[in-house]
Amino acid sequence: MADLKLRGVRKAYGAADVIKGVDLDIAHGEFVVFVGPSGCGKSTLLRLIAGLEDITSGDIEIGGKLVNDVEARDRGVAMVFQSYALYPHMSVRDNVGFGLRLARVPKAERAKAVEEAARILQMEPLLDRKPAQLSGGQRQRVAIGRAIVRDPEVFLFDEPLSNLDAALRMDMRAELARLHQQLGATMIYVTHDQVEAMTLADKIVVLKDGEVQQIGAPMELYDHPANLFVAGFIGAPKMNLLEADVTSVDGATIRLGGADLTELTVTGAAGTLPARGEAVTLGIRPHDLIPAADGPLRPRIDLIERLGHETIIAGALPSGARLTAVLEARSPVRLDEEVPLSVAPGAARLFAASGEAVPLKAD
Amino acid sequence: MTHLENSTAGAPVAPAPRPAASRRAKAQRRAMILFIAPAFLIYAAFVFVPLGMSVYYSLLRWDGIGEIATSARFYGLRNYIEVLTDDDLLQIIGNAFQLALWFTIPPVCLGLAVASAIRSQMAGRFGTATRTILFLPQVIPLVAAGIAWSWMYDSYGVVNQFLRWVGLESWTRGWLGDFTYALPAVGIIGAWVLLGLCTMLLVTGIARIDGSLYEAAKLDGARPRHEFRFVTLPGLKNEIGICITVTIIQALSSFDIVYIATAGGPGIETTVPGLEIYRLAFAHRQVGLASALAIVLMILVLACVLPIQWALRDRNK
Amino acid sequence: MTFPRLRTNALFARGLIVLLMIVTLLPFLSMLSAALAPSGSYPSGLEWPSDPAWGNFAKAWQVANMTELMTSSVLIVLGTVPAAVLFATMAGFGLAKLTTKRSAWFYLVFVIGLTLPFEAVITPLYFEVRELGLLNTRGAIILPLIGLYMPFSVFWMRAHFLSIPQDLSEASQLDGARRWQEFWMVQVPLARPAIMSLSILLFLWTWNQFLLPVVLVQEPTRRTMAGALGAFQGQWGTDIPLLCAGSLIILAPTVILFLIFQRQFVAALLQGAVKG
Repeated sequence: MADLKLRGVRKAYGAADVIKGVDLDIAHGEFVVFVGPSGCGKSTLLRLIAGLEDITSGDIEIGGKLVNDVEARDRGVAMVFQSYALYPHMSVRDNVGFGLRLARVPKAERAKAVEEAARILQMEPLLDRKPAQLSGGQRQRVAIGRAIVRDPEVFLFDEPLSNLDAALRMDMRAELARLHQQLGATMIYVTHDQVEAMTLADKIVVLKDGEVQQIGAPMELYDHPANLFVAGFIGAPKMNLLEADVTSVDGATIRLGGADLTELTVTGAAGTLPARGEAVTLGIRPHDLIPAADGPLRPRIDLIERLGHETIIAGALPSGARLTAVLEARSPVRLDEEVPLSVAPGAARLFAASGEAVPLKAD
Repeated sequence: MTHLENSTAGAPVAPAPRPAASRRAKAQRRAMILFIAPAFLIYAAFVFVPLGMSVYYSLLRWDGIGEIATSARFYGLRNYIEVLTDDDLLQIIGNAFQLALWFTIPPVCLGLAVASAIRSQMAGRFGTATRTILFLPQVIPLVAAGIAWSWMYDSYGVVNQFLRWVGLESWTRGWLGDFTYALPAVGIIGAWVLLGLCTMLLVTGIARIDGSLYEAAKLDGARPRHEFRFVTLPGLKNEIGICITVTIIQALSSFDIVYIATAGGPGIETTVPGLEIYRLAFAHRQVGLASALAIVLMILVLACVLPIQWALRDRNK
Repeated sequence: MTFPRLRTNALFARGLIVLLMIVTLLPFLSMLSAALAPSGSYPSGLEWPSDPAWGNFAKAWQVANMTELMTSSVLIVLGTVPAAVLFATMAGFGLAKLTTKRSAWFYLVFVIGLTLPFEAVITPLYFEVRELGLLNTRGAIILPLIGLYMPFSVFWMRAHFLSIPQDLSEASQLDGARRWQEFWMVQVPLARPAIMSLSILLFLWTWNQFLLPVVLVQEPTRRTMAGALGAFQGQWGTDIPLLCAGSLIILAPTVILFLIFQRQFVAALLQGAVKG
């Protein structure tokens, strides 16, 4: 059983803090994705777990064992690198079997393990080639195979798909999901691509500037982003974020107004309600906008993308703010027209001036 | 002293304690030391220790025969003063710089001429033959080059044979024994050795210059000399810098060629610091003076090479 | 107008190159012609002797003890080059992959020696080698040479290891390799081209080393070929045919190796200059 615990993990290079105190629990068999923009510290966090770099303070436990001072090779982790990091002078067979050779596993046993990994990844015909003779996708498989044979407690993936083309990336994504089911191992996956995060993860960890923004299941993050950053980062097209004012608070009912919207009411959950007159940010997913003659939002359309199964429109609101909406495929919209839009019930999200989400009552 | 005390005593905040290196960091440091140790130890034993001894000897007056403790006496900087004021020693240092000109200018100029004339990589069989032949002098011992050329310069050698053949009978002489021509003659030996290396470096360099630069220059109305001045020379800065570095080091620290070809003669016309160090230390038993000259030589090489490297580095930024 | 100009340019280039090749070869040819003149005679310039005295080579081989000289040179090369390459490869790896900012000065210590003329340390080396009781042995050449080669060799290998992606090193760590295993099983196989070039350069420099043998070893048969040539000239300097024949024999081994491995030699020498 290999669960993973991070307690107050910090990493500083000289005076620069890269990871600013991360607490995280990962259960055995979970697929966890670290996601965030470049420079957010997600790769560093992965390397700290791998033991490729020392933590400045805090504790890391793998399978209940404190590993702060344990060498990378003794942590029971395997890693797939962005560059694949295959040994150029070794055949695929030797690449995959290298870890076992170092562990002095007898030759016959080693060969069996390598064959088994090759079978799982369907790369038996490649075993005698050198990395230079492989395509990007094949190298990727070899890199994963190298991780599999070691039968690690935790698999670490550092942006493993970023060097592949779009079609191959989809295939490999599906394959990784399958692999996770098949092996049932703990996997930690780093990416800057929120689509990969959404599709692969049991649990997503959103990072920004070395701090955890939110931890949760993909739909949890999508439906209830904890703050403006997560709201803007997760989901495509991006969530619309509009400046608004609280015009009145009546019990739990919050009435919003502003330059860009005529009127909108949301129901707050008990406790933390914004005060009247407070400036807030209204978040609405493009998919949650519905054409309605009396809709509170009236963008002037300057972009129409008809994708076939749906139509994306974008336009400017009176204040100049941009609004994007995803409509039905054959919606009769035209450029330079004003399209009144209303918000699907319970779909609006509210963020206080601090950027934190205001809890709303689910409809 | 007081200043130091003040600064420590008066420091308002104690410096933040450096976080104790983790066991892994320590292990890595230990691995590094183990990997570097053999190289470092033998380097220290046979370069650093002797270098330190050189500095020490240079402050002594010692014949090198008896024990230092009994037969040497402290001589201060007088050895250095002698190196920098003695007419003969100054001439010897001057010889090295004259040689540097001979070692540098002909190879670099000829190399530039060849490079800008062919302006591409030498390919095919002709290219291979050229490379092979031009590199021969780099491969043979300098001593052999010295012997070959002393025979070339002999009264009955090829140089005089050629002069007779073109009707310049009166110019013939034993070149290496001639007070005026011995040093240039030695210089030409060095130039001969370095010619191929410089040429190939410059040819490889010019092949890397983007050909469209020349076309652009032509369209801008550049004549060949302009192309050379504004495209070739700037494009070859690095390679030229490398050539000059190599040739200067070779010239200033030359020993083999001179030892074999002229033994420093006639008089001290072709004596170079390297040869003089050898003579002073092992023939004239003036270890102190030899060591001072050695230190001066080392500093001269650095003084010539560092500015060139500095200039190259700045341009690369 | 361009066409004829281009043609003359190419012709000029070719002419210049041919001229340079002739100048480069002339000393060799003049030596050969002298070596074929009757021993003890005084040859004259460049002329093919009517009756080439090939026997001069046999005689030079015999009087110079060439068999022993070659053996000695080979022994010195074998004692110097593998050790120097091994130490430099290890140190290059250590300096490129294992140093932190705090220990960067280690590298500077090595770089300082890059331009050091051997003459600057030859005097104390003599006394040091005498103290060690190595005077007049091959060890007197081998040990100091290894040390003197370190700045360049370490510099060379470090530059190579810096070009190897850090990922490979980390992958092998995660595969369970200790540093020593990573070095031998991953890094050294990848460094083979750099190691080859370095070996070629060090072989040439050792074989052709002159100053150290002249100062530290009196006995010619324990010297390098180049060092022995110095003694040979001292002894037979007046017999020009014999001297030239001996010189040609002495420079033959490196030239033959060079002709066989021409491409590798040229590449090594060019890179060596660039990096040095």
